[in-house]
Amino acid sequence: MIQVHNLVKRYGDLVALDHFDLEIQDGEIFGLLGPNGSGKTTAINCMLSLLKYNKGEINLFDKKMTPNSYDLKRQIGVVMQNVAVFNELTVYENIDYFCGLYVPEKAKRKPLVEEAIEFTGLSDFRKFLPKKLSGGLLRRLNIACGIAHKPKLIFLDEPTVAVDPQSRNNILEGIKELNRQGATIVYTSHYMEEVEQLCSRIMIMDNGKAIATGTKEELKAMIRTGEKLTIELYDLSDSILEEIRKTDGVIHAEFTENRLTVRRVSGGNLLISVLDLLRQNQINFGRIFSEPPTLNDVFLEITGKQLRD
Amino acid sequence: MFWNIFSKRIIGTLRNKETAVWTWVFPIMMATLFFFTFTSLDTVDQLKDIPIGVIDNQSYRQDSPFQTALQSVSAKGDHQLFSLTTLSDEKEANSMLEKGEIDAYIQVDGTPKLVVKGDGLNQTIAKGFLDNYLQSKSSIEKIISNNPQAVQQISSLLDRESYTKEVSLTQNPPTDKVNYFYALLAMVCMYGGFQGLQSVSFLQANLSPLGARRTMSPTKHFPTMLSDLLGGITVHLGCVLVVVVYIIFILGINFGSKLGLVLLTCLVGSLVGVAFGAMVSVTSKLKETAKTAILTAVTLVCCFLSGLMVTGISYVVAQKAPVLSWLNPAARITDAFYCLYYYDTYSRYFLNIGILLIMSLVMFMVTAFFVRRQSYESI
Repeated sequence: MIQVHNLVKRYGDLVALDHFDLEIQDGEIFGLLGPNGSGKTTAINCMLSLLKYNKGEINLFDKKMTPNSYDLKRQIGVVMQNVAVFNELTVYENIDYFCGLYVPEKAKRKPLVEEAIEFTGLSDFRKFLPKKLSGGLLRRLNIACGIAHKPKLIFLDEPTVAVDPQSRNNILEGIKELNRQGATIVYTSHYMEEVEQLCSRIMIMDNGKAIATGTKEELKAMIRTGEKLTIELYDLSDSILEEIRKTDGVIHAEFTENRLTVRRVSGGNLLISVLDLLRQNQINFGRIFSEPPTLNDVFLEITGKQLRD
Repeated sequence: MFWNIFSKRIIGTLRNKETAVWTWVFPIMMATLFFFTFTSLDTVDQLKDIPIGVIDNQSYRQDSPFQTALQSVSAKGDHQLFSLTTLSDEKEANSMLEKGEIDAYIQVDGTPKLVVKGDGLNQTIAKGFLDNYLQSKSSIEKIISNNPQAVQQISSLLDRESYTKEVSLTQNPPTDKVNYFYALLAMVCMYGGFQGLQSVSFLQANLSPLGARRTMSPTKHFPTMLSDLLGGITVHLGCVLVVVVYIIFILGINFGSKLGLVLLTCLVGSLVGVAFGAMVSVTSKLKETAKTAILTAVTLVCCFLSGLMVTGISYVVAQKAPVLSWLNPAARITDAFYCLYYYDTYSRYFLNIGILLIMSLVMFMVTAFFVRRQSYESI
């Protein structure tokens, strides 16, 4: 569905995309993850031919994508980061307007607009102007405007920013439904749990490069961080905490608010050795939680923990 | 596609309160203000009857030639000079003069004498009349005493024949008032720039998210822009016509009899306004608020130079900087209205219309050159 090869995009001296490669299969929900400024939106804008690029090749639907590839553009839907609707047009008129750019015939367009309104749960708001809509409803309108023409390939660039949990859940369910209906989806977000829940494959980008690509299990297997153990304790002396830190495989241990948190490297078990140590020192403990690494752990380990813009 | 974009543009613009305020509410307020401010402009220079008095004493009653002369210039009609009050005595005359009810009075005591309080145009005119009468009287008396046979020719001496003829160069009466309304209409036409600015901003991916969304759609830029601009021009022309109807039919300002050509001027003026806004929008990457400020400032300067604030300025600019005058779209629109009102021929009018059309074409071509891009270096 999408093949990007050796893509280079520069803004003056800044290299926004550095020999970037990407391949997305038909029917996938593909997640693009990366810190701010990592090149996600630039990559999408290049794929859509909105941005000129310095080097590389982009093929969509097995054809070279150019600014004048109207036959390809007709099969693509885009939901941008920023809400892009007309403030003076109602919900219905906005969706009808943007759908009309893809489907000129009004008779064909009408059922598509109705379906998009139904799909995004905007039926009760069809005559509302955008300024009367809540943030969540506005995002849903933004999505409806991007998907009403039933595209085969949909780019969703952080569609759930500043949306309440109920609306977010509605949007995510909608994206899954679009995928079930046959659309291939490219999804970017800062919310790791969304990407983990939604995407069949994920790429982590940083500094304009693809750092890691795979399923979430494959990504988790790539990192050094393994199991995280949390044990409820009444008290813990510094000497015992130090002893835990010296245990084989432990990479991090801390005791705060009556909770001992221990992390170890991947590929092993921590529970028995830590519990043995506590028993030997006659320390009583309460509940025990053992968690495998999350996508957030993967992201932070790969991209680093330093603050970005 | 055309109807989808065109109709939504009209609906959207009609719902935009800001556009309504600037393109017809504000001009209607300005027109009303002009109307009340300039209503007296045409009559301010007209001469009014001068209130004078004459003491009705024995000498006056016996001086029938003077009585006849005074009554002839005080008779109602186009040539009335004085509004004459007959006074019983000097006391009454002085009292009225003191109160300002009369500007002067005449007392006949052998020779007519003029009594005034202060000096001014009215007093000078009254004095001029009396001097003229006394001089004529003295001349006639001298002629009769020297040559009594010449009395037959005296009547011809008193005849005042005019050797000039008053001809109006214009088909309508000249008035400064209409110039302000022409300049106001030019301003409304130029406000079409906001429509052009909006059309282009919402078309280009590097100017707005809406532009990005449109650019990603399978539509060519030029037809999209054209459909949108036509919608903008249609609504703007409607707004201009609302102002024209208000000025002509509500305020009763005379725009001459060529209403069809007045409408053509409004259409071409709107076209140049929209084209100007589109060009300002496309040639700069400034924020929309900055572009709006530029557009407003340039429009106001153009309108100032075309006589919106000071009616004589357009003439001064035309004399001192003719190129600036010819390149100022607001001045061309104002001049086109002026030609329709004053001139019988159409050559200057159509020259203005031609210049405005060429300006629109050039500005639309510049816009089309910039918006042809569907891909950007940065957005």
